[in-house]
Amino acid sequence: MASTFKTLLNNDVISTRSMLHEAIPLTGTIVSGTYADNNIKNFSHGMFQSIYDYPYLSSSANHVVDLTVGFSPNSSLSASSPTVALNPQQAKKINIYNQMAQVLVGYDVTGNVRQFDQDGNLAGGTKLKECIFINFSRLLNKDEIKKASFSMTVVTGTSLVILEDPVLIQDLGALTSYKVNSPAGEYGLLFSGSADGTGPGPDASGKPAGLIFYQAGICVLTASVFSSIAGATAGRCVSRFSSRPGWHDSGSGNVSTISKALTGSYISSSCDAFRNRLVNISFNNTTELNSTIYFCRVNNNEFNYSSNPTYLSSSKLVIKNNPSDTPVSYITTIGLYSADNELLATAKLSEPLKKTPDNELTLRVRLDY
Amino acid sequence: MAFLDNSGDIILDAVLTDTGRMRLAKGDGSFKITKFALADDEINYSLYDKNNPSGSTFYDLQILQTPVLEAFTNNASSVKSKLLSISRDDLLYLPVIKLYAPTTSDNAAGYEQFDLTGAGENTFIVAVDDTTVKAINGTDLANSVSTAGILNGSRAAGQGGGSSAKIRVDQGLDTTDISEELNIDPDLLETQYLVEMDNRLGFLVSAATPTSADLSFVDDDNIATYYLTQGDTGFVTIMSPSYTTNVSGPHGSNLAFRIASSIVLKTNNYLFNVLGTAGSQAIGSMDGSTAGQTYRFIDTFIAITGITTGYRIEVPIRYVKQI
Repeated sequence: MASTFKTLLNNDVISTRSMLHEAIPLTGTIVSGTYADNNIKNFSHGMFQSIYDYPYLSSSANHVVDLTVGFSPNSSLSASSPTVALNPQQAKKINIYNQMAQVLVGYDVTGNVRQFDQDGNLAGGTKLKECIFINFSRLLNKDEIKKASFSMTVVTGTSLVILEDPVLIQDLGALTSYKVNSPAGEYGLLFSGSADGTGPGPDASGKPAGLIFYQAGICVLTASVFSSIAGATAGRCVSRFSSRPGWHDSGSGNVSTISKALTGSYISSSCDAFRNRLVNISFNNTTELNSTIYFCRVNNNEFNYSSNPTYLSSSKLVIKNNPSDTPVSYITTIGLYSADNELLATAKLSEPLKKTPDNELTLRVRLDY
Repeated sequence: MAFLDNSGDIILDAVLTDTGRMRLAKGDGSFKITKFALADDEINYSLYDKNNPSGSTFYDLQILQTPVLEAFTNNASSVKSKLLSISRDDLLYLPVIKLYAPTTSDNAAGYEQFDLTGAGENTFIVAVDDTTVKAINGTDLANSVSTAGILNGSRAAGQGGGSSAKIRVDQGLDTTDISEELNIDPDLLETQYLVEMDNRLGFLVSAATPTSADLSFVDDDNIATYYLTQGDTGFVTIMSPSYTTNVSGPHGSNLAFRIASSIVLKTNNYLFNVLGTAGSQAIGSMDGSTAGQTYRFIDTFIAITGITTGYRIEVPIRYVKQI
């Protein structure tokens, strides 16, 4: 009996799961410089700043990252006078911190929002009370950030042009050592060190710099990176260069310490300052691919004829002169069908494949979900 | 669709069709791939140069260089010409499906197409409502539309009569090299046909009785699919060697049917405005009695595929409605 379909058997269909990684480089010139901040979107509520990879009014622009800052209600910065002139958006900064904390580190047994912890041991230790939050869009993050792939360089010196005192921040050792006590998934510890060899580099037992939440795609950077880097003088990285915004106190208008900048300037100003001190960020994202692979096995005595209208001339096969000639057909398309003959998926070969009784083929069609 | 890059290794570009995605989204288990078919939609076998003096390596050189398009997501656009599995390698002839074009003596049976231009641009015309039938056929609403190639779509399905005009496709070996007195090989005989047509415009009716065919399913593009088998009276008939057909060689089976217009076409002009030609365009001199009449019309086709051999033809259809 002639037929045009072949049934897939159980061993012709398998399901697989694989991880796809992409390298994501985010250069400092994108977040500050290339587009003269036309790719930076500030909102009237002022609670965060969005960064696009192109001027955001263009339909070609993709949202890549959000920046915001906040501090804990237990931070000494919360005790500052909450006046607009001296401490603008204090409540919003506390709200931001609490929002991020409740999502990323959750609540304690009494229902209070936990604070970010420097070493991931929530029971005690040093808390990260003043933080810069870097929220990567799902476009970059995909399903998660690959562990031990995160790297960020910021400058902490007085001159932005010569990239003075660059600091390298990495999630060292996260492949084998990461935390799972977050309601938002796995996270690793960030460590900082000198990026230019003038001091010790990042060390997994060295200076903590924050947390990286892999599935959430959020980097929580402690503000102390800009004031207490080993080898740097506290408060050294507080000046701004030329017209570029640096950490400064918008209340007094003077260049100030990071602490004063966090309390004395708007969230957007702090984000501007951070952007202009960001040299680059890079990481590998991860996409979890669930695939079904269909092995379309074509035996020697199958699919050697065609129903193509050009295959016949007055019902005679155009590829044959005599009955003894070998039939031949050319495969360009694979159709995957349901039991009721509905075409559910198609696959195309990049070039025609010759099929004769002399050969057998296995065409491997993979559908990703 | 662009062409696939064929400069390096062979790659396979796979996509879910729109129907596949729809079934997947339903989440009711209807997305289940159980079989596959192979096709050669882009291949033109007339490029196969089996007498090339340079040798057999050059026979299919042009075919192997055929660029292949990316995969279509429209389920109705892909896998048009399927490859065929036949256990024998010694076949020199394969059956075709051919629109039955009667000779003059058969005209009374009403299988003729209507020649739109008088220059062989043939189609079947379906008059969608009584007004159109009357305009074509005088006052006779209930019975035949006398003009060849014009089907009474208004009264085809169980409404007291209808047109004697119908559509028929015949299967067989269309060659004079083999006597028509011989039987077609049983493994090449079509006993089941698949018919696809736009469900918004009309539906299939038996050629013998005013009975509608059972609809199998309608896809996301409103394409209705019918499976018609040998047991479906009035649709599939096995043709004996003496059967009148224009298949030149051994006869296989035939599929005959009529078309009923949809309620939407009968009662509303919306689809004519959207899919067809609205307004005052005349369809030439449809016949002597319709001179001066103007019609709205929608041009479409009905695809008929033999389940056994995969051979497919498309029959042009024009739904018309008098303005």
